[in-house]
Amino acid sequence: MVQINFSLKEVNCKIVYYGPGLSGKTTNLEVVHQKAPGPSVGDLTSIATEGDRTLFFDFLPLNLGQVAGMKTKFQIYTVPGQVYYNSTRKLVLQGADGVVFVADSKRGKMDENIESLKNLGENLKEHGLDLSNTPIVLQYNKRDLPDVYSIEEMEQALNSWNAPYFEAVARDGHGVFPTLKRLAGLVLETLNENHAPRRSPSVVAPKGSVTTGEGSTAATAVATQPTRALNATATSSTGKSTTRVRTTVSAVRTSTHAPKVRTQTSGTRPTLITSPRRRKRQTGMWMGFIVASTAAATVLLHLAGIIKIWS
Amino acid sequence: MVTDSDHLRNQRIVFYSEDIERIDAILCEFLKLSGSKCNLLIDKEGHMVTSCGDTDSIDEQSVAALVAGSYAATREMAKLLGEDEFSVLFHQGKRDSIQLSMVGDRTILATVFDDQTTVGMVRLYARNACEKMEEIFEEIARKPKRSGALDAEFGSSAKGALDFFFTE
Repeated sequence: MVQINFSLKEVNCKIVYYGPGLSGKTTNLEVVHQKAPGPSVGDLTSIATEGDRTLFFDFLPLNLGQVAGMKTKFQIYTVPGQVYYNSTRKLVLQGADGVVFVADSKRGKMDENIESLKNLGENLKEHGLDLSNTPIVLQYNKRDLPDVYSIEEMEQALNSWNAPYFEAVARDGHGVFPTLKRLAGLVLETLNENHAPRRSPSVVAPKGSVTTGEGSTAATAVATQPTRALNATATSSTGKSTTRVRTTVSAVRTSTHAPKVRTQTSGTRPTLITSPRRRKRQTGMWMGFIVASTAAATVLLHLAGIIKIWS
Repeated sequence: MVTDSDHLRNQRIVFYSEDIERIDAILCEFLKLSGSKCNLLIDKEGHMVTSCGDTDSIDEQSVAALVAGSYAATREMAKLLGEDEFSVLFHQGKRDSIQLSMVGDRTILATVFDDQTTVGMVRLYARNACEKMEEIFEEIARKPKRSGALDAEFGSSAKGALDFFFTE
């Protein structure tokens, strides 16, 4: 959950990439690590097996910069996708403010996608959350493969609550940023709703404010702009380091829960913003009106007194 | 299973400057008494709360994430052994060592120290520091939630920052 630290003037949010094994969660993080502007991204830390499969989590700190005077940071994690690592998935999911669910579009992988989504619902429930009250964005990855499910099939099988979704080819960097941008937006909107001052419902949101009106059509918020393919030469010169902790696998437990997934349309309400300048101007107008009225009444009373004395 | 009241309480992770100043004073006193190199206070989600001492050579954010992960994994291990949790963890290195102590129910104190002091000194003063910080956290939890903690312009400013950051 979001940590607001007024001493450090920081807002910290936790984002988790979830999904079945080999769906491309770590690849997403590697792309973000390579493509994000240098100073804003920290080292990518992975706790992985000898075979580079995520054992515990991958971690990438991302600094969005100053937002209304607060340094806004995202701590991005991936979970191990393999079924028998459920206990570690649960730990990583603890305190998540938003989830990207990376689904594998390859034909034949739908059962794994559905199982993983059910597992996400079950694990969220253990932390007092569910799919409908947590910011979630779906990413349909590996769209470049020859034999993939259609978007309609993916939507029908996975997205019963109309969450925003994006098509992606994470290996080439396509769709990675739009997915993360959308989720980061949802997380900050939730934060804004919970922690920004309450506003009068009569005030209309000015152009440019964060409104989730676009979220109401979130089901169609597909990434339409093609993203640039990663330039390996360019990214290798950034000097960003990756920590890959390899270890030998032993362990673990398997979850056989059959979770109940609640569904809900991602209906969202607009955030209303009154500019302080506008409020000040309105207050000034009222004050001026009251002073002028008082002065006019005083003058009239004086005139009435003078006329009475004369008469 | 998390109850509704637990959930509401857990949601309140807002640290105000006056609280952090009090925590910093405790951490700095602990640093001096124990002879440790630095202290990091980390919440269970892996976010840094505050730190004291020489942290220049440490990637605080990554350490915070790994400390939280390590603690969470060890807690699960404790449960399998019939314990609620292991409240103190200790990792010994050739040069530097790190001790992790639970503070209250949602923060972890990570103390980095070298051979200038001993694990006994660190453990002794850490216990005292943790108790003092727990009192502060209990006070924070009792305080009524302040509304409108963030600036009114946070929403619009966030949208602009996201557009700028994610320009391809």
